[in-house]
Amino acid sequence: MKTRPRLLVLLALLLTPLVALAAPKQVVLLFTGDNGGEIAPCG
Amino acid sequence: MLVLDAGNALFKSPTPGDPKERARAELLLEQMNALGTEAMAVGARDLTLGTDFLVKAGKGAKKLKLLSANLVDAGGKSLFPASTVVTVGGVKFGLVGLSPEGPVATRKGVVGQPPVPAALAESRRLREKEKVEVVVVLAALPYQDALKLSKEAGNAVDFIVQSHESRGPGVPQRNEYATLIPPGERGRQLARLELNLEGKGPFVDLTETERARENLRILDTNLRQAKDRLAALEDESSRKAMEETVASFEARRKALVMQTTPGTQSPGRSHRLSYVSLGPEVADDAEVKKQVERIEPPGSASH
Repeated sequence: MKTRPRLLVLLALLLTPLVALAAPKQVVLLFTGDNGGEIAPCG
Repeated sequence: MLVLDAGNALFKSPTPGDPKERARAELLLEQMNALGTEAMAVGARDLTLGTDFLVKAGKGAKKLKLLSANLVDAGGKSLFPASTVVTVGGVKFGLVGLSPEGPVATRKGVVGQPPVPAALAESRRLREKEKVEVVVVLAALPYQDALKLSKEAGNAVDFIVQSHESRGPGVPQRNEYATLIPPGERGRQLARLELNLEGKGPFVDLTETERARENLRILDTNLRQAKDRLAALEDESSRKAMEETVASFEARRKALVMQTTPGTQSPGRSHRLSYVSLGPEVADDAEVKKQVERIEPPGSASH
């Protein structure tokens, strides 16, 4: 029974990196379009 | 991060005649490569100098891929790759390009085949064979054709980024499964689409929930005022009209509460569209500015 808290601590330590890696999957997309030959947009 | 262009990037007009058009198009292609633009659809205002100019530019490009799933030569052979697959942040994206339907005036025999079937065939192939997670169609098509695609695509397509009429920035529009995205126009904005890819199903628009929350706040004020007025009315016909107004506000409120309550919408993939304005607050790159001014000197009509 004495070993259980240690096991829990060990498990927590082992799982911490996994939790850190399980960040939500996010990606940013940037779009342009309809530029129409514009190289010097002036507003 | 993934940078994409919906097409109609290179020329002011689909018909040639401007003496500076080639220099401008070459500079734009060079800068799109330098920016790391992954892919671009071939639109009507990219074909002004015919297909040879563009095919050559596509072959010479370091990164930028010119895509069209429906543009064919006189022999029915594809002129550009229909799609490309790219992995960003561990997510596999399938990118499909579309050109407008009909003959290309600047090159005899070249024709845009019907875009919707071409897009569906390529998107389904990407889902089934390439196992892509997200399909983005770069649609250099009239808005009505892009809208038709969004209604007929089923779950084959996630996003359709439309260019053709320079419609400018706007709000995302989901029809069935696919979401139509306006990319901005004339180099004045960058559209920024944040994707959250946890889960499955159609992407939910997070800005829609925010708009619903704001509408609910306004509606609550109007509802309170309508109830106060109702309490003060004595005339029977006026009371009846006001009761109908209150009832319609309450029905609308119920719908908005549904939209803004967590857990009432399908959990999972979501997106948030915003625009980055490219005005004077964004500093010019000195070297690019020199190149621009060689083509468009300060004070010239186009500058």
